[in-house]
Amino acid sequence: MGQTARLQYPPAFLNTKYRARMWIAPSLKNHAFAKAAVVAVWSLGWLLMWAMDGVADLANLALMLVLAAAVCGLWLSAAESLVIGALAVMAFDWQFVPPRGRFTVDLREHAWLLLTMFAVGSMVAWLVRQQRMFADAARVMAEHATLLRSFNEQLRQESSSGVVQQFAIALQGLIQADIAVGMVDDLDLKLAPLRVVWGQVDAHEMAQLQSCLDTSTPPAWTDQPMHSRQTITLPLRGPTQCHGAVLLRMPESQPLPPMTQSTAQALCDQMGIYWERTLVEARARCASEEAQTQKVRNTLLAAISHDYRTPLATILGAASSLLRQSDRLSRAQAQALAVTIVHEVEQLSTMTDNTLQLARLDAQGVKITKDWESLEELVGSAVARTRRRYPDVRMGVRIEPQLPLLRCDAPLLVQLLDNLIDNAIKYGNPDQSIDIIARKIESNFLLAVSDRGSGIPVQVRDRLFLPFERGTSRGAGLGLALCRAIVLAHGGSIVARQRRQGGTSMECRFPLEPQPLPLNEPLPDSVSPHRSMA
Amino acid sequence: MSLRVLLVEDDKELRSTLHQALVIEGYKVLVAASLADAQALWSHAAHDQGLDLVLLDLGLPDGEGTDFLTKLRVHTQTPLIVISARQQDGEKVKLLDLGADDYLVKPFGLDELLARMRVALRHRGRWVTAAVTSYVQGDLDIDVTRHRVMRCGSEVHLTPTEFNLLARLVRNAGQVVTHRQLLADVWGPEFTEHTHYLRLYMGQLRAKLESDPAQPGFLLTEPGVGYRLSEPH
Repeated sequence: MGQTARLQYPPAFLNTKYRARMWIAPSLKNHAFAKAAVVAVWSLGWLLMWAMDGVADLANLALMLVLAAAVCGLWLSAAESLVIGALAVMAFDWQFVPPRGRFTVDLREHAWLLLTMFAVGSMVAWLVRQQRMFADAARVMAEHATLLRSFNEQLRQESSSGVVQQFAIALQGLIQADIAVGMVDDLDLKLAPLRVVWGQVDAHEMAQLQSCLDTSTPPAWTDQPMHSRQTITLPLRGPTQCHGAVLLRMPESQPLPPMTQSTAQALCDQMGIYWERTLVEARARCASEEAQTQKVRNTLLAAISHDYRTPLATILGAASSLLRQSDRLSRAQAQALAVTIVHEVEQLSTMTDNTLQLARLDAQGVKITKDWESLEELVGSAVARTRRRYPDVRMGVRIEPQLPLLRCDAPLLVQLLDNLIDNAIKYGNPDQSIDIIARKIESNFLLAVSDRGSGIPVQVRDRLFLPFERGTSRGAGLGLALCRAIVLAHGGSIVARQRRQGGTSMECRFPLEPQPLPLNEPLPDSVSPHRSMA
Repeated sequence: MSLRVLLVEDDKELRSTLHQALVIEGYKVLVAASLADAQALWSHAAHDQGLDLVLLDLGLPDGEGTDFLTKLRVHTQTPLIVISARQQDGEKVKLLDLGADDYLVKPFGLDELLARMRVALRHRGRWVTAAVTSYVQGDLDIDVTRHRVMRCGSEVHLTPTEFNLLARLVRNAGQVVTHRQLLADVWGPEFTEHTHYLRLYMGQLRAKLESDPAQPGFLLTEPGVGYRLSEPH
């Protein structure tokens, strides 16, 4: 952390050069106000002195003058205080010190009084001035500390894109300059180019940013006033290296106070530290995801090869039996073997579809094509398919009349239903019917496939939808994991619920979306007769 | 005279299995393993007595089966069934809209193939001759010319749109008609994206014509592709 800038203390404004500048430069930006205040204070002072002339003695009047000079020290530079103090003492001498109307002094003690007045007035003005400079510096330092702290707070909350914006805003708040920020998106500076993430730069400015990134040295700040469009580059330094640079296009102005310079660099370094941390975290996450993917892939391959071997073994057995023993098999036996082959191939085909679909849905950024679909149609289609494959299975279908349309990917939804029905057939009671229910509950669709089997043990229920969990029958390894992936891809949820009279109910919920208005103009029913098919 | 089928399939095993099965079913089968073969056989056959049906695989060693389909459709309406291992529904819809009569995803059973072939052959030539105007299946009797739909002997009242939709499906009874085709033909080309019209009107039709709308016997759904009026026996 040695490279990061620290706030200097005591404040940098006590530098000799800076102090010299403060000696002559009026510190208040609002000159008109300062002038008015000084004039008002002196006028009031002189008025009081006139009013008290003859009432109070000369020493009291002199104190009045010292007071006025001290108050004016608030708004004047040290030099101004001295000049005005000297003039005031001369005027006092002219006006109040006998002999009046002349600069000569009658008594020696009066001369001492005037000299002391001048000395005390100047001293007090100087002290007031000094005090105010300390107060100003403390205020600015507090402001800068708040700025750094609140930016630090934002770093904890914002996403990385928001952070760049917050950084630019904070820096622009600190330095009234037009800024551009360039950053590198990789820890290895050779692997990614310097990318401008805020503002715009021309080729020359880009080269400046690049050079600042390469050297990662803070700028040599100048004490000369800035000329318009002068540019300064600040490096964004992290704990180990530089991750970018900021380009400041300065307005025509006084040089930046050293404290602002160091705060600006501190802000930039905070950004650099944040960026380095983000990049390191991203790299770690990436590595862990890769390891996870590798693990899942290995388990997947193991499970698939296991699940595929069993039907393949059955097919090979049946086919080779037909091949070798055809002369000894009865017609019915041969037929049964052929049926087995067809059935097992169908099983393999379903498993292949499931595996491919699960791999597709697991891929990053998969897009599914959604359309308005009728659950009645989708359920009907899945049920018809099941009837073809298992003519003996009893199914009860209950679909709420006037059910709204579901926005979904139809083939995926049918695959979901196919898998849930397959599952219910495998684990259900063959003598009892499988119930398929679709209805609306509040702002959700409920789609449930229920069986009357022995139910699912509680300890398995939580892991049911993870890939490769299975009950007792084979081939269920991927089915429910795919169901979960399909439901999640539609923004829904799926749970396995124990039914009260025994059995399991797989319940999917999908959010109900605002319906398309089917009868908007022109009314679909008012088509012109020329489109009639007759 | 037996019907002539052109089988375009590059996989040797599948080609010979299908060849044998189709010959047993009584078809005369020409086999091609590539696009070039298929085109040569097709132009040769065109001089002879023509082809009755094409079974086309998509991924062929010398190009895409789709190209053959497009060329074929420029000249003829010979029924064509795509057989492919690709199962993206977008692709199915594209091929059907390009003029394929049907689409079978590998693996498929012989029963299914023969059934689809029968349907495709029945529609052969209907493009130039009269359209199918009647449909009788179970207790349903549709007479498109007379605008009459009977169910269990009594007339069913349909709105004009419902009737047009049903008539469009009757024209291709047994075949899939894509959403796009239905919407364009019944509502107009500007409505091809309004699939929710179809859901609504098919729902109404099923409510009027099916004994159990949730388990339809006539108006079948091909999820993500379109609708099929079940093949009349």
